[in-house]
Amino acid sequence: MTVIRIQEVTKQFGDVAAVSDASFEVMKGEVIGFVGANGAGKSTTINMLLGFIAPSHGTVRVFGETVTPHVAHRQHARMGFAAGDMELPGNLTSKQYLQFLTHQYGGDTAKRLAELTERFQPVLHKKIATLSRGNKQKIALIAAFLPSPELVILDEPTSGLDPIMQEKFLELIRGEAAAGTTIFMSSHYLGEVADVCSRVILMRDGRIVSDTPAAELLRASGKHVRVISGYGRTAAPKGAEAIAKSKTEDGGYVVEFDWRGEPAQLQQWLAAVKQLRDIEVTEFNLEAAFRGMYDEESAA
Amino acid sequence: MMRSVLTKTLYDKRLFILGWTLGLMAIAMLMTSFFPAMRPEGGIDALLANLPAAFQGLIGDLAALDEFDTYIASQLFDIRVPLIGGIMAIILALGLSTREEEDGELRTLLSLPISRTKLFIEKWLAMVLIMGISVVGLIAGVYLIMPFIDDAAIAGEAMLQLALMTWLVMISYSSVTYAAGMASGRRAVASAVGITVIIGSFLLSTFAVAVEWLSDYEFLSLLQYFPAVDIVYDGVMLRDVVVLSLVTLIALVAAWLVFRRRDIA
Repeated sequence: MTVIRIQEVTKQFGDVAAVSDASFEVMKGEVIGFVGANGAGKSTTINMLLGFIAPSHGTVRVFGETVTPHVAHRQHARMGFAAGDMELPGNLTSKQYLQFLTHQYGGDTAKRLAELTERFQPVLHKKIATLSRGNKQKIALIAAFLPSPELVILDEPTSGLDPIMQEKFLELIRGEAAAGTTIFMSSHYLGEVADVCSRVILMRDGRIVSDTPAAELLRASGKHVRVISGYGRTAAPKGAEAIAKSKTEDGGYVVEFDWRGEPAQLQQWLAAVKQLRDIEVTEFNLEAAFRGMYDEESAA
Repeated sequence: MMRSVLTKTLYDKRLFILGWTLGLMAIAMLMTSFFPAMRPEGGIDALLANLPAAFQGLIGDLAALDEFDTYIASQLFDIRVPLIGGIMAIILALGLSTREEEDGELRTLLSLPISRTKLFIEKWLAMVLIMGISVVGLIAGVYLIMPFIDDAAIAGEAMLQLALMTWLVMISYSSVTYAAGMASGRRAVASAVGITVIIGSFLLSTFAVAVEWLSDYEFLSLLQYFPAVDIVYDGVMLRDVVVLSLVTLIALVAAWLVFRRRDIA
């Protein structure tokens, strides 16, 4: 089932096209990482998904219905939204705001609220205006997940969160994804995108330049291999890049290299290493992959 | 309990409501207490008679100072309340329309299952209620001081009509500014429209007494449709209610048509 369908969408602000001819689909249960540099058009796309702004051309559909500013509230009943720079009502305490939300969504959210409160440990009895950025962000995230939405749209959701809360947030995303919630998340933290997303959509200068399964992206980006052996003449396999050799304190010989070739060839080489003591293989993170893609696009 | 945008807005504005209600009450109490000094036998008529015609528009009808009901209609409802209420209307309408959009709070509200139409109407209703509470404070101020002033009496019906028309004028004022704010999302536009209509109405009605060519344009002033002293004598005219209601309605409908479809910053 298609949850989000963006077809040939363009958004002009005067002479500037913030989004140009963008098209993609998101299926139920997918966790999408929506990445790109500042000004790439991510927030404009998200604003159109939420009906804050209307596309100049093309259509935006959520849950099969075209999103326009005057009917977007219908989709919002099934959606949650949080942004890193979200402005919450400062005059209310966190508790009052969450109660207000409960009335807007209807239904019994008490159990859900207790679960989210337990997870994020927010400050509930102070006015939101007096909270730190991180604490405000916790409230925004709780608000987004409170109605147990079918779709959650997140725009830089972890900016302002400390590493412990970031991890708790990622745990929540994993749990929601396992339960079938569709998540569309823009982020500058490529590590968290690699961690939780099933597919990554890359935007550059208002255009969708890549729409790739995260696993494929990681495979394409290669591996970093570090081998320790007792044999000093161990040579890196043919096709290895960025080869480096060193010695450990206990007399082991270290060979390190980047590998973009076939996994089977690497496996064969590893099997042939003499006096093998230790192997460490790590996937390249998305940052390297995206940097590469951005560079390729720029060159093109 | 905040169940709706209406109740949330009233809660958000609780200090504003308290401050303006007490302020208008204090002004009403002061103006009521000035009645003995402003009566002709207090000698004020001789002083006022020597003022240039241009200033008499700011003072009001001297004949109205004889009796308490026309005095309060002239000095409080005809001159002070439209200006002070107008300033209140601009501040409130700007706060409810453009401030939330500039802060980004409007996006937060609109990310919930709240339609733009509902948000538009409930904020406006909150504004109307706040104006109503302030008018109650104003009237209470008059009644609180009246027992201590000799010959201070006003028919309940006349006071009710003055109160309702004051409320209607303030609703018109605030609705025009609110409509400009919701339609444009820009504080500068809403302020310009509000100030032009509200301060323009005040200046037009005040100086039309003395500046002859202005009297041809007096119909453009919203205050033309709130003749407080005449209301005490003859009651509310249907024409005035219709004009003020139409101005409000047209401004709101036009703004709603734009707001429900426009981009939110």
